Amino acid sequence: MTAGKTIEVTDDSFETDVLQSDVPVLVDYWAPWCGPCRMAAPVLEKIADEYEGRLKVCKINVDDNREVASGYRIMSIPTLHLFKNGELLDQITGVTPNFETDVKRKVEPHLS
Amino acid sequence: MVDATYDVIIVGAGPAGLAAALYTARARLRTLVLERMIPGGQIYNTDRIENYPGIIRVDGPSLIDQMQKQVESFGAQLKTAAEVTRLEKLADGLLAIHCGEDRFLGRAVVLAMGSHYRKLGVPGEDEFRNAGAGVSYCGTCDAPFFRDKEAVSIGGGNTAIEETLHLLKYVKKATLIHRRDQFRAEKVLVEELLAKAGGPGSNLVIKYDTIATAIQGQGRVQSVKLKNIKTGQQEDYPCEGVFIFVGMTPNTGFLKGTLELSDQGFIVCDCAYLRTPISGVFAAGDCRIGAAMQLATATGDGVNAAMMIKQYFRDPSWWTKPVSDASQPSGW
Repeated sequence: MTAGKTIEVTDDSFETDVLQSDVPVLVDYWAPWCGPCRMAAPVLEKIADEYEGRLKVCKINVDDNREVASGYRIMSIPTLHLFKNGELLDQITGVTPNFETDVKRKVEPHLS
Repeated sequence: MVDATYDVIIVGAGPAGLAAALYTARARLRTLVLERMIPGGQIYNTDRIENYPGIIRVDGPSLIDQMQKQVESFGAQLKTAAEVTRLEKLADGLLAIHCGEDRFLGRAVVLAMGSHYRKLGVPGEDEFRNAGAGVSYCGTCDAPFFRDKEAVSIGGGNTAIEETLHLLKYVKKATLIHRRDQFRAEKVLVEELLAKAGGPGSNLVIKYDTIATAIQGQGRVQSVKLKNIKTGQQEDYPCEGVFIFVGMTPNTGFLKGTLELSDQGFIVCDCAYLRTPISGVFAAGDCRIGAAMQLATATGDGVNAAMMIKQYFRDPSWWTKPVSDASQPSGW
């Protein structure tokens, strides 16, 4: 599957891609062994596409990038964090029943 | 914008929806399946399926991959990341399904949205869940975060036992809290669980007749408040994670005000032919009243709904006939 409009970030690129971003960033903490993470993926692609230019959607594999994940004390995946100007504003834990609607509701007030 | 029109629109691409699509596509009915995420539903998160007749052992993603390919090979159209927000019956009799700004029209609809985890409903649950601070509803997702830690799981059905067995591979100690004095899960699972408890070096503790009344901690989960319902004795039980498996609740929120739902949100239908009060709208799988909530019964429901759609298309007056020998379709 092609990456689409979401951006894969790492422990090394997190500072530049997320914390120093000019536009708000939605970070998806995920792992390959997590079913709900795979299920949520196309919804996040869709959101990245719909809000292009106003929101960046990043994905971080918590298996390969433990520094960021443990720094933010991730204990459940998928977790979504919303960052703006380097500040953590909001989060969603797990795949909620109306996931797309719930994510959009959280994100929309903060779009560029 | 011109609305796309189908013979059958199926809401949900879990086992029920995919089974319905297989049969309607093979009947050469123009079929659309709308899925809010990717195909699979609950079974996608199961790594060990051993009770689907004819298949000795399979994992959820592999089974769903096969089901999806099978359905698509007969021409059913599948749309992912399509969250349905409304169902309405139009004046001309067609059924409209709204997906955000998109609208799809169908002559028949199968509602197969499935279900998701039910909350326990105790203080601390939402707080620690929303903060991602130690409450989980998915052992296969989150067990690795509790490596060498102590965790509690709550429940007594198949999922609770399967997920607790998974948890045991990671944690230092798991404690299963169950409100009754015996489990309702399949006996083979219970046997596997009991074999792991109590022996030398066991990292599993089972507490029967016990309920959790609160989840507690400063910033993250540090303990659960437990109560033995026979003795009334209470204790603060230390743990860093709480895994909750106390049943399922149907994904029927968008139907409120459109269709009759049970107190717990299940779609009211006739259970034999799966008809709802709106002609042309069927309910299948975990989201209907009386569902056995098994993989095989979900696929059975999907097939049943598809067969009944054929009957409904042949004879629309069949819709209002009560369940009886006289209304029993024949000559498949």
